[in-house]
Amino acid sequence: MATLASPAVPATGPGVETARSRIRIDRVGKRFATDAPDAPPVLGEVSIDVRENEFVVLLGRSGCGKTTLLNIVAGLEAPTSGEVRVDDEVVTRPGRGKGVVFQQGALFPWLTAAENVAFAAKSRGLPSAERGAIAGELLALVGLAGAEAKYPFELSGGMQQRVAIARALALDPHILLMDEPFGALDELTRIEMQNELLRVWAARRKTVVFVTHSIWEALVLADRVIVLAARPGRIVLDRAIALPRPRARTDADVLRLYESIWGALQ
Amino acid sequence: MSVIPDTVAVARASARTRAARDWRDLVYPAVAIAVLLAAWQGASVAGWLRPVQFPPPTRLATSFVELVTEGYPEGIALFTHVAITLQRILLGYAIAVALAVPLGLVVGRSPALDALTDPVASFARSIATLSLLPLAVVWFGTGEAAKVFLIGYGCFWVMFSNVVAAVKSVDPTLVQAARTMDVAGTALFRQVVLPAALPRIFSGARVALGVGFMVIVGAEMIGTIRGLGALIMEARTFYRTDITMVGMAVIGVLGFAIAWGLERLEAKWLPWQARESRRGA
Repeated sequence: MATLASPAVPATGPGVETARSRIRIDRVGKRFATDAPDAPPVLGEVSIDVRENEFVVLLGRSGCGKTTLLNIVAGLEAPTSGEVRVDDEVVTRPGRGKGVVFQQGALFPWLTAAENVAFAAKSRGLPSAERGAIAGELLALVGLAGAEAKYPFELSGGMQQRVAIARALALDPHILLMDEPFGALDELTRIEMQNELLRVWAARRKTVVFVTHSIWEALVLADRVIVLAARPGRIVLDRAIALPRPRARTDADVLRLYESIWGALQ
Repeated sequence: MSVIPDTVAVARASARTRAARDWRDLVYPAVAIAVLLAAWQGASVAGWLRPVQFPPPTRLATSFVELVTEGYPEGIALFTHVAITLQRILLGYAIAVALAVPLGLVVGRSPALDALTDPVASFARSIATLSLLPLAVVWFGTGEAAKVFLIGYGCFWVMFSNVVAAVKSVDPTLVQAARTMDVAGTALFRQVVLPAALPRIFSGARVALGVGFMVIVGAEMIGTIRGLGALIMEARTFYRTDITMVGMAVIGVLGFAIAWGLERLEAKWLPWQARESRRGA
């Protein structure tokens, strides 16, 4: 139901071969066991195709089901109806090349920054020396060279999220799923981290699904913004952002998009 | 990027305040104890305290020397009392920990087992350990086994409850994060749940040891004249209040020293946790 999709995002289907669809969310519905039977479900019937290397932002108010949808794509939760395919394979469990960055980082506090990243690299079956090298390389990529031996509690919130991003990249995932990764950061750090993420994304192209409730964050980051409304969780806007990066908040096109997304959220 | 030098500066600053705090940590308690002892001595000299009820500190000092050199009762020196008491506490404690940790780990991971064992654990914990003394004598006689049992009983339930709670309170996001890295089953338990639960398990171990030191005095009330608890009871019978007080103080110092040792061990084994709590303190 790509109802409001702009022409830049063709509906994938037979004959459309412009770009491969990495993630196919097909009529996914979710109802929690604790919900009243007559209550509207957390997710109605949501369908989204995410193309290779596309940066999709899911935007919506609290409770619109965006995090639930992300968890279903990650394989951390099962949908009540419908299915998610990543590279044509139905998602039944987490892992297998799906990197996840959580809101609070979820770093292992007993491991140093480098050990946290190396821990993820281990799941790829790499020998220990290679894991260390990858950890050093990825920490440098996220701007944390020199902080390898620090424990998470010695790092600021922004630095912890950098480690979390490096750790997700250490899985060498096809897709990167980010659940409000900068939501707990102060505004200045947040802007810094958005730029940093775009820099990393440019260096390591990934298909990204990014959840946020910040319109600005969506406009700065996204190739495509999908706005969700609550109960039942459903798509109310699916808009490609074809503007070049970096994007200024004061840009006339950005402001116009802000207005239309704000309208969709009402 | 200025991020890293900043942290170094912060670490240096906190190292400075930590050194200053360590210095005060020693001086303040020393001053407090000195003032208390001086007031006590003064009150005794002035005749406000009866020696049989509150022997003055100087008397306690000579009693301590008597206890070390001649012993009380005659021939059983302080060292013997300490060694025997420590042996009983550590044996009961070690058995309790050895049972409680694996059981707690299993129960903490299983909601069904937790629901089954929780009422039992709550009930067992709320029985004052020393009220089991008569039963312990019936079951194990008046020898060593009864004493070790009482200490083990007191330590076990505290330890068990703490291990269960430690496993249950592991941040579910850490487990989710590990699952996204294809870590599952026993590897998940070993590499994520266990290290995440360790700090709380350690604090449970400290509390349980304290219980052991509380139980020992009562456990040594019967069937022995050796051990610090027996020493206290024996001295009380003969109105040697001075010896009773010295015995109490020795138990206090021992408990304190062992708790301090456990803390050092925790700082060494769980560096992230020790630094975190020191920073929070």
